[in-house]
Parts: sequence; structure tokens; C-alpha cells
Amino acid sequence: MSAVRTVAAVLALLLGAACTAPTPPRELASRAAGTVCAAPQEPPGPETATTIDVVEQAYFCILGNYYGGATLDTRPLLRAAFAALTQELNRAGRDVPGATMPALTGDRAADWAAFEAAFRAITDQVPGLRDRLGVVTLEAMVAGLGDNHAVWAHDIVRHPNHYDGDGYGLGLLANVSGAQAEGDPGAAVPPLFVTTVQGGAARAAGLRPGDVVESIDGSAPFIDGKPTPAIAALYPRYPRARPVRLRLLRQSTGRRWSVTLEPGLFQQDLTALQMVRSRLLDDDIVYVRVRGFAPDSADRALQAIARLRTGRTPAGVVLDLRGNGGGSPREAIRLVSAFAHGRTTAYLCTADDRCETLRTDDTVALVGLPLTVLIDRGCASACEHFSSAIKDLRAGLLVGTRTAGAVSGPAQGYLLRDNTLLALPSRHHLGPDREVVDRIGVPPDHHVPLTPEDAAAGRDPALAKALTLLHK
Amino acid sequence: MRHLLAVAAGLVVLASSACSAPTPPRSAVPSATPSGPATLPAPTGARPVGTTVLYLKDTSRPDPWNLDAGARELKVTLWYPAARRDGPKAPYMTAQESRLAVRRYGVMGVPDDILSRTRTNAVKDAEPAGRRLPLVVLSPGFTNPVSTLTSLAEDLASRGYVVAGVDHTYESYATTLAGGRVAECLACDSDTDPGFGSGVVAGRAADVSFVLDQLPAKWDDSHRIDRSRIAMVGQSMGGASAVAAMVRDPRVRAGVDMDGTTYARIPKKGFSRPFMFLGTPQHVPGGRDPSWERDWKLLTGWKRWLVLTGAEHQSFTDGPLMAATLGVRLASGVLPAPRAAELTRTYVAAFLDLHLKSRRQPLLDEPSPRHPEVKLCPAACAAPR
Repeated sequence: MSAVRTVAAVLALLLGAACTAPTPPRELASRAAGTVCAAPQEPPGPETATTIDVVEQAYFCILGNYYGGATLDTRPLLRAAFAALTQELNRAGRDVPGATMPALTGDRAADWAAFEAAFRAITDQVPGLRDRLGVVTLEAMVAGLGDNHAVWAHDIVRHPNHYDGDGYGLGLLANVSGAQAEGDPGAAVPPLFVTTVQGGAARAAGLRPGDVVESIDGSAPFIDGKPTPAIAALYPRYPRARPVRLRLLRQSTGRRWSVTLEPGLFQQDLTALQMVRSRLLDDDIVYVRVRGFAPDSADRALQAIARLRTGRTPAGVVLDLRGNGGGSPREAIRLVSAFAHGRTTAYLCTADDRCETLRTDDTVALVGLPLTVLIDRGCASACEHFSSAIKDLRAGLLVGTRTAGAVSGPAQGYLLRDNTLLALPSRHHLGPDREVVDRIGVPPDHHVPLTPEDAAAGRDPALAKALTLLHK
Repeated sequence: MRHLLAVAAGLVVLASSACSAPTPPRSAVPSATPSGPATLPAPTGARPVGTTVLYLKDTSRPDPWNLDAGARELKVTLWYPAARRDGPKAPYMTAQESRLAVRRYGVMGVPDDILSRTRTNAVKDAEPAGRRLPLVVLSPGFTNPVSTLTSLAEDLASRGYVVAGVDHTYESYATTLAGGRVAECLACDSDTDPGFGSGVVAGRAADVSFVLDQLPAKWDDSHRIDRSRIAMVGQSMGGASAVAAMVRDPRVRAGVDMDGTTYARIPKKGFSRPFMFLGTPQHVPGGRDPSWERDWKLLTGWKRWLVLTGAEHQSFTDGPLMAATLGVRLASGVLPAPRAAELTRTYVAAFLDLHLKSRRQPLLDEPSPRHPEVKLCPAACAAPR
């Protein structure tokens, strides 16, 4: 589910960015005629086949727009793409004797021509696989960038019976999120357990927060303490509908049992989906949860704070950013600006180290209350921009667990000829102390992880810690 | 900020065909000379038209958008057959509403009260006439006030319907409440939230039920309404709300959705009251918005799915009629304003005449040579590309 949300968020971000970004410089248009890419001017039409011409467009799109693209050595990308192509041939039982990697010289246009010729020669022998091979080739090429904000968004389909606000999947969230399981699960620690029962199959089967997942389709989620790919099976995306078998342990009773959960649509509580929610805790703490940095998220959060402090003097503010997958850096900056003025929130740097300094927006009124921020591995991208700024500027205390480390740099969306979107960052993000946050994450000032016992009892130890800090 | 939001929201909206775009057509391009105040086309029915405004307050529920409002306030504009044709015409909107609209559309170079000077056809607070009149609830698109459906409302009233246009407070850029307070679009702050559309239509369905509850007490002439003959018509989010209101409230016997992506859950066992989708070519089967196909399968009674060649999202509103006033030119290939208004009026009235007045309507059963723009889907219209 959260993986789906991430995709949706990325798409929303792309579309949002698309309409504010300038069109690519004119000189790009003349590069390798017909292969240039541009930000979508309107929502893309239906997706069409990913031909080698589309892969070519993406290749030159990367050269023209990606971070360091102008001097990028593309040979590793083409190797990764070719490797994926041969693996797909092999999987299909249709390996081709002539499917050997062409020699590459480092001349990027010539290397492309060689790659394209090889691709055409191979696919002419397996025409039935042509479309599929285009897809795996492009996927691998983008993955070869090794950049969490370089994303090719394609084959996005919704269940035909989907209603706005519906979820799809097993109906549960675990302490390892979908985005983490599919992206960078290295930091996940055992045990794997249910944190939220959203609905659907998980609710029907009587699962509860705190239930420990001992195996998924017979595979262990952790081996020797390290996460396995099995975890990602907790988060199937439509159209995947194969049932998932879980072996569970309820620690409170010692009960061990197995359930088979069928992925499907499930209804969600609409208020729980609101991007910004707020309430007063202990009569003197303003609690605001921000699920993502959507347009207006910062203003909504600040309005909520203003409203809840009316007629009282709160002891502080808790901003709950757990599971906040990011969004607009502009919103992150606005929210930082309510807690610090005249400071730098981040740098955006090109490959040749030319950096733009992002500064607080000092037209935003200061809140002037002590701040604690709840973070976890689900806090990614713009959320990490916010968290690293609050930490470095000493504008508040971070409580919870380290953030995702998925903040390479803000991405711009480019429309490819098959009506799919390629998102590429042109600059990389650094924190206010010029530190790299990407892949590292932002460490909390107070490390407070969630345990299965906490989840089962409905306790929120990170929030409790935050309240204690504010009441000191 | 606000402008960026509008652009971003616009894109999201386009992406899903959720269709809450502001009035001037997106495909419009600026033209040099604004034309001055618009004149709404004359109603086509035989009866004179009157209009009046009611202010209602639902103390049983808090406002969904204004967390400091413990009750839901609503403004309802009634259009109805009147006894006489003479008398001062009702204003289209207030000067303040016009200012907020012009600002929202980002239109430059026109007096900002220009929309309030639009010439209407309904006489303000005219004496009503007739009895056993069917009732049509009218609901506008998200961010639009119900005044953007005045051309349709006046026409229906001239054909013998009482029309109750609902301004869903805080869901439009300007709603003037009792005492002259102006509510702006608080809901706009959250319009990119997942589940937003589902929440809005649920709230609007509650608004409609409350209006139906209150009408007898709040309008002196409500005895003229035949309460067994009630339908609902809406554009965009208003059309989606027609589905929601019908599912919730059995008093609403029939509904029309004009180009609105739908959000309400129709019971899985099906839904048999008459319903009509009336849309742009974006709303063909296999098009960008799958919501009509999802619902079509669950509609088990009389149903139609009409697509208007050359229509765009605001073709069903007064938007195109205002384009010249605001100095925007419709893109080539888009239905001209008078034709868009004529088609909207004709097909909505045909639907209502069939289901509320039991008059046969061949127009809804077969292609009409006089209305070649109208395709009967899903049979006679194809997916794009």
C-alpha cells in the first residue's frame, strides 16, 4: 500500500513539477534529432509499447537532463540494460546465440548506435518478446543510475472497481514499509510485525497490530538478522492478486497460526487519509501529523497550530512526520521557516559542484514554541529535507528512528513517447551543513523504536518521549 | 502560492479527469478585447422565471471544512415559474463574488466586478406560479458557485420546474452567507488529499438531504412542489454528488451527471433509479476516467451515457458564455457558447421531462440529426486513439 502511495506521490510530484519547470534549453532539442524529452504539458494519454525508439529517447533524455548527464559515462548503463535483456531472454527460454554485448568505446552516440543495432538484431529473432524486452531494458538502464529519485513510472493501472480513497493489497502495514522493502531494506531490523490493520483481508482474518510475521509464502523475512526480498510480498500492487500466506505469532498469547490473505481493494477511513491532521494533547501540546508535503501542506499545518493555540499557551508542538514520503521541497522549506529564520535549509548541487542555497522563507511567521519532530524510516525525500534542516539548525528535537535516506535530489518529470514518465534529478541534495543525507538518512536525537509489544498495546513510545521532552 | 496550487491541482484534476477546473475553459487562449458584461441566453420554456435566495443552517452536524463552525450553513438559490415577467432581474452574483472569481481565474484587464453585471432573465423575488411542480436540485462543480449554472437553471424554471441550486459552503471561491459574510474555498486546501472526492460527495449528499428536509418550512411557496417528483443535476463534482445523493436519499428519483468523475459507492447489488451521464469526449468508455464504466455496470434501471463532440468540461456551465467577457477565446473545435448552452438545456430537460413528467423523449433513444454532436455511448462512441 505505501509503495503504491509512494508511486502516486511521485507522480503527483512529477505533474506538479512539470507545470512549474522551465522547458528544457533550446540546444537540447537539436541533440540527436527526435530523441529529446520535455516536461509533460498535459496529462499523458494511454501508454503505448516501449519500443527501442522510446529507450533511445530515455537514453538521450538522461544525457541531457540527469545530474552530471553532460559528462556521464553511459557504458555502465548500457551494460546493465543489456544484462537485463539477456536475463529476460533466458527467463523466456528464448536465448539467442548472437545476443552478445557490443563493444563500447565511450563515444556516447556511437555506443547507443551499437546498442540499438544489437537490440534490433536480437528482437528480430524473438518478435513476440520485443515489447517486454524494451521494458526490461529501459527499467535496467534507469536502475543503473543508482539514484532513488531517477524513476521510470510505467504500467500504472488501477483496479476497475477502485474508488477514490480505496487501498489495494492485503490491508496491513508492517514495521518495514512497502517503500523500504522495495527500495532500500538494508536498515530493517527483525522482527517483522504488523503495525496497522487497514482493512481488507488482514482485517477479515483478525490480524492485530503487534502480530509478528514469521514467514511469508514459506520464506523467512529475515535471515541472520538481514532482511530478505520476501518482505516485499506483504505489499502486492494491482494487478497482482495471488494470495499471500503468512505464518504469524501473537506474543501476548503465544499463539502461532497461518492465514492466507488475498490482495484486493479495501475501503479506508477518509479522515485518516487527510494530508494534515491535528489535535491538542494533554491540554497543552499541539500535535500535527503531516503525511506528505503536498501543495499547501505547510500552510495547513501552520493554520492548525494557530487554531489550537488560540486562547492558551501550549508547552510545545509535536510534528508527526512518520511515513511522510515527501513531496514538494517548497512546502518543506515553508514549514522549516516557521521555526527558523535567516538560515539555509539545504543546498542543491550540480555534478560540477555549483550549488544553489535554499533559504528559509522569512515571510512565514515564526511559531515560537518548542518543537519535537517524530520521524521514522518512512520519512523520505522532502521529509528528510525538513528533518535535516530542523536538526542542523537546532530548531527542534527529532524523536523516533532514522529517516529513509532517499533524498538524492528533487526530480523533474519528462514525458516519453510511449506516454510514460521518466523522473530525473538534475541536482543532488545536501543538508544545511553541506552533508549528504541521501542513503544516510537523518538520525533522531532520541532513538525510540517501536516494538511488537508497543504495537499490540496501542502504545506510541516515540510520541510519549516527545511529550516528555516538551514538558521538561 | 495560490496560483501554483491552482496549476498543480489543475494538472492533477486533468490527470484523473476529476474535473474541478475553474470556469474559463482550460483550452482557452487570451484574446485582446474583452466584450463587456455577458447576457445569458433567453430561457426556452413558456413561463416567466423568478428567483429567490434561502439561507439554511444545519445544527445537527459541524461544518466539514471550517473546524470552528459548529453548524453547516448553506445558501440555496431557487428558480421557479413566476406569475409575471416584469420586475427587476436578479443579479448574477455580487460584486465581491465577481472580484473573487476574476482573481481566482487570474484574468487581467477587465473590471473585477464584471461578472456581477451579467444580464440574467429571472425576476428577483417574483411571485411564483403553478402547482404540483417537479423539483430539480442543482449542484455546481468544485470551486464554482451555483450561479455558474444559471443558464440551465433559468431554462428549467421556464419549462415548469422548481430548481434548488445549492452553494456548498467553503467548496467554492465565494459563497455569500446570511448577513453578507463571504465564505471562501477552505476545501481547496485539501483537494489533493487521497479520498478527497469521496469525502466531498458524501458531504454534499448530506447537504442535499438537509435542503429537501428544510424546503417546506423555509420557502413559503413550497406547497407548489410535488415532493414525489425530485431529481438532481450537477456538473463535475456536482454531478458526482448526484450519484451520492441518490444512493443516500430515496427522495431523489433521478439524476444527471454532467462530466463529473464519480466517487460515491453504488451498492454492489445494483441501483435502479434513472441516471444519465452527459460528458465530454474525455468521458468515452476506455477514456482517461474509468469511473463511469465502473458505475455503468451497477446501474440496472433506465440509463444513458451521452458524449458531446466538441464539448469541454465547462461546456455544461455558463463558463463559455463568460469567455468573451473575461477576454478569453475558446480554442478551435470547442463548441461555441450558445450551442453548448442549447445542447445542455435540451438534453437535461429531455431527461427530466421523461422521468419527472413522463413525456416520451425520442431524443434520448436514437441519434438526432439536429444534434449531430451527441453520441450515445457506449454503443456508438469509441475510445480515443
